[in-house]
Amino acid sequence: MILSPEILAIYILNFMFLAFALIALYLSLKIYINYDKNSSDTIQYTLERQSYLASTIIKFIFAIKVPLFLFFIFTLDKLSNVLSGAMCGAGVLDATEYGTILISLKILNIYLFAFWLVLNKEDLNQEDKPYIKIKFAFFIGLFVLFLAEILLEYYTFYNFEVDKLVSCCGTLYSASSTSFVSNIFAIDNSIIVSLFYINFSLITFAYVFKSKYVYAISNLTFIVISIVALIMFFGTYIYELPSHHCPFCYLQSDYYYIGYLIYALLFFGTFNGLIVVFKDRFFKLSFISNLLFVVLVSIYVLVYYLKNGVFL
Amino acid sequence: MNRYINLYLLEYSINALLRQKYKNIFITTILTFLIFLLSSMFFITSSIKKELQLSVDSLPEITVQKLISGKHYDIEVKRVDKILQITGVNDAVARVWGYYFFANAGVNFTLVGIEQFEGQYKDSFQSLVDGSEGFDDTKAYIGQGVREIMSRNYYKEYFNFILPDGSFKKIDIGGVFKADTNLESNDVIILSKDNMRSIYGMNEDHATDIVVKVSNHDEIETVAAKIKLLYPDARVITKNDLKVSYENIFDYKSGMFLALFIVSLFTFFIIVYDKASGLSSSERKEIGVLKAIGWSLDDVLKEKFYEGALISVFSYLVGIFMALAFVYIFQAPLLRDIFSGYSELKTAFELPFVFDIQMMVLVFFLSVPIYIAAIIIPSWRAATMDADEVMR
Amino acid sequence: MIKFKNVNKTFKSGRSHTVDALKDIDLSIKEGSVVVLKGASGSGKSSILSLISAISKPTSGEVIVDDKQISKLSDKFSSEYRLNNIGIVFQKYNLVEDITVEQNVILPLIPKNLDSHVVEEKVESVLDMFGIKEYKNSPVKNLSGGEQQRVAIARAYINTPKIIIADEPTANLDEKLSLDFIKIIKDLKGENKTIIIATHDPLFFDLDFVDEYIELKDGCVV
Repeated sequence: MILSPEILAIYILNFMFLAFALIALYLSLKIYINYDKNSSDTIQYTLERQSYLASTIIKFIFAIKVPLFLFFIFTLDKLSNVLSGAMCGAGVLDATEYGTILISLKILNIYLFAFWLVLNKEDLNQEDKPYIKIKFAFFIGLFVLFLAEILLEYYTFYNFEVDKLVSCCGTLYSASSTSFVSNIFAIDNSIIVSLFYINFSLITFAYVFKSKYVYAISNLTFIVISIVALIMFFGTYIYELPSHHCPFCYLQSDYYYIGYLIYALLFFGTFNGLIVVFKDRFFKLSFISNLLFVVLVSIYVLVYYLKNGVFL
Repeated sequence: MNRYINLYLLEYSINALLRQKYKNIFITTILTFLIFLLSSMFFITSSIKKELQLSVDSLPEITVQKLISGKHYDIEVKRVDKILQITGVNDAVARVWGYYFFANAGVNFTLVGIEQFEGQYKDSFQSLVDGSEGFDDTKAYIGQGVREIMSRNYYKEYFNFILPDGSFKKIDIGGVFKADTNLESNDVIILSKDNMRSIYGMNEDHATDIVVKVSNHDEIETVAAKIKLLYPDARVITKNDLKVSYENIFDYKSGMFLALFIVSLFTFFIIVYDKASGLSSSERKEIGVLKAIGWSLDDVLKEKFYEGALISVFSYLVGIFMALAFVYIFQAPLLRDIFSGYSELKTAFELPFVFDIQMMVLVFFLSVPIYIAAIIIPSWRAATMDADEVMR
Repeated sequence: MIKFKNVNKTFKSGRSHTVDALKDIDLSIKEGSVVVLKGASGSGKSSILSLISAISKPTSGEVIVDDKQISKLSDKFSSEYRLNNIGIVFQKYNLVEDITVEQNVILPLIPKNLDSHVVEEKVESVLDMFGIKEYKNSPVKNLSGGEQQRVAIARAYINTPKIIIADEPTANLDEKLSLDFIKIIKDLKGENKTIIIATHDPLFFDLDFVDEYIELKDGCVV
């Protein structure tokens, strides 16, 4: 276990989140079980008030969670200096078997929390509060995932040993490794790239014809395809090295931190794409964000080609 | 209109804070103090770390020591030749150095032996040899801290070393030795290798350890591995190992401090919760009136959080600013001794200025969210108060 | 415009003691009319006012304003309704004494997050209308009783609500100021505002511009 102040800070905040999430959970259960639209008992009034407490807690957790996630990535990078063998965050995550699951879970939870907030806003905006039970049932499920994330994070940090060797991303993200990431490598690059651009064209058509459901679904698939494409194809052009596939290294200063911009655009674009079903307001923003993302990663490929005359 | 900050609400919040002066000053003071303490600690450790990294940088890339039964032993000088033959090795020098306990003052000096016509493994030694006065190998050259201790014990022109057999060896003091960092030179005495060996009773063909210079940074690990293969009884320490272990020590120390700090965070949380919960009757009435005028629960909550944000941001800025002044202008009296390890000779160094954004973000995470969390429930309670009373 | 259908309001006072504030109330108030609620204290006047302004909800029955049932609205919607449609002048004014007249008058505008030029316009017009422009930047505590009351009215009026409610408005005023207040009400009626005044001040009992007198006793309409 490495007792670095960053890790301790994350532990403290996680503990606090857990305590408050438990309160929100208790309230969610209460409301889910007892809320009755048609009754005008005083209990209903109390429940209404308590639903505000629950939603304030959830808003608070989300508001801190997002910057904390960025901080988490920074911490991983910093820890890579201390863990032997790790050169970037990828190696640090590999130190335990659950590292990749942890970060996927974290990202998933951010999406889910954000989705809850949108659901909540919609619910409050309508007089009959149509989603009140659903949203709290949803939170009960979300709590389980959140708890899993916190426990996993505790476990992961606890098991960091300074002298235990970890793999660098070079071995992790290659066809020869045995991690489940390597399965992606079995697929031919040209298929992945075509799927990527086809998906994006679908998004564009859906945007032009304002078809909300198609747009949302294509955004969902786009998340997965983009990450795969980034690892397999676009990443290599950012690094200008055909064997460097790591999705973390371009978050470092050597690459001008471009990774943060790439991921921000992707997440912002696809998240808003998903909630378009509820709110059209972000339709345009989502599309622009996705567009910028595609343009940005394609530029790296183009620039490489222009500079060198060949593709990798 | 959808501006992100409602300026009129902000104005109202500021006035509301001022209307509850004593309570808010109390909370702000505690929060500021906590932030001050926390950031001072981080500034100090960052500075000491930097000071140490600087001194590590001036060390040789690889140090080779001989171990027998896990303990450090004198190493054979002839090993230097074999090491020099490894590709990538620029230079290898046998060092003679050690500690000398000066009983009168109860302190340890660090003795370093150098040879005038050898390539020095440290630039500071090189400048001593090349300096205007040169290196007289019959004399001792001492660091500032050593000089002060010696003169306090009436040794001004010379010093008597006690040899292993009990006899005295008198050595004249040639001058004061100054190195790159104060931490490094303070307790150091430089002597000739011959003098050193006689003080320690060490054999001519032995040395304390061997330092190896490798010019290509990326080759250090490989060379270290080769040396380890050559001499399995040796402990091979690279510069990076040292850096990592320093990083760990300081992380550990600051980790311990933080662990203790958690107690104060927890207390703070309770105090804030309690203070924020206690609404005076005028506060209650005011909220009731606002709701009667048409403010929704959300609006009242928002106002409470604006107040919270004002207090926490203000405290954060003031706390950090005060810590900067405390650590870098006043050189952090009291606190820094906890981190640098209290020792008579180690006090006279200046903390270099380090501006670490990550640390500031860390301090932010350890203070502001805790405060906001503490006011969530009290603010909600205030916002959900019945406005009914107002009409009676 | 305002209808009460079979409204009952009971609330708990202390552990087990319940109070029947209103019993089976049926009312109808037309738009643009001035209504005076008469009755001793405890007769239920204040409860009727809270129900009309959606500050409280009836224990049973319906309160309908402008064909909209306001008795079951959630917090967000009932506050919105109150913010835009109701202006209340409290018996004790309930102004924030330490801040200026302007800052008090702005309070109902804050949740709307309007542009500053819109806000300034509204403030100027309302201060002008009630003759307190010169006190714009004075702290309310420095003003006299009558001036404070005008600030309270200005605050109630700033969102140009359809319904204005006044609870014992002249309880702390002398005769001259009471008559001033009555004049203000008369002017407001001219703007087609629905005005409801709860009072036991005899000055109100014989006014020509009052459209209806409703007397309450022990929670029932007499």
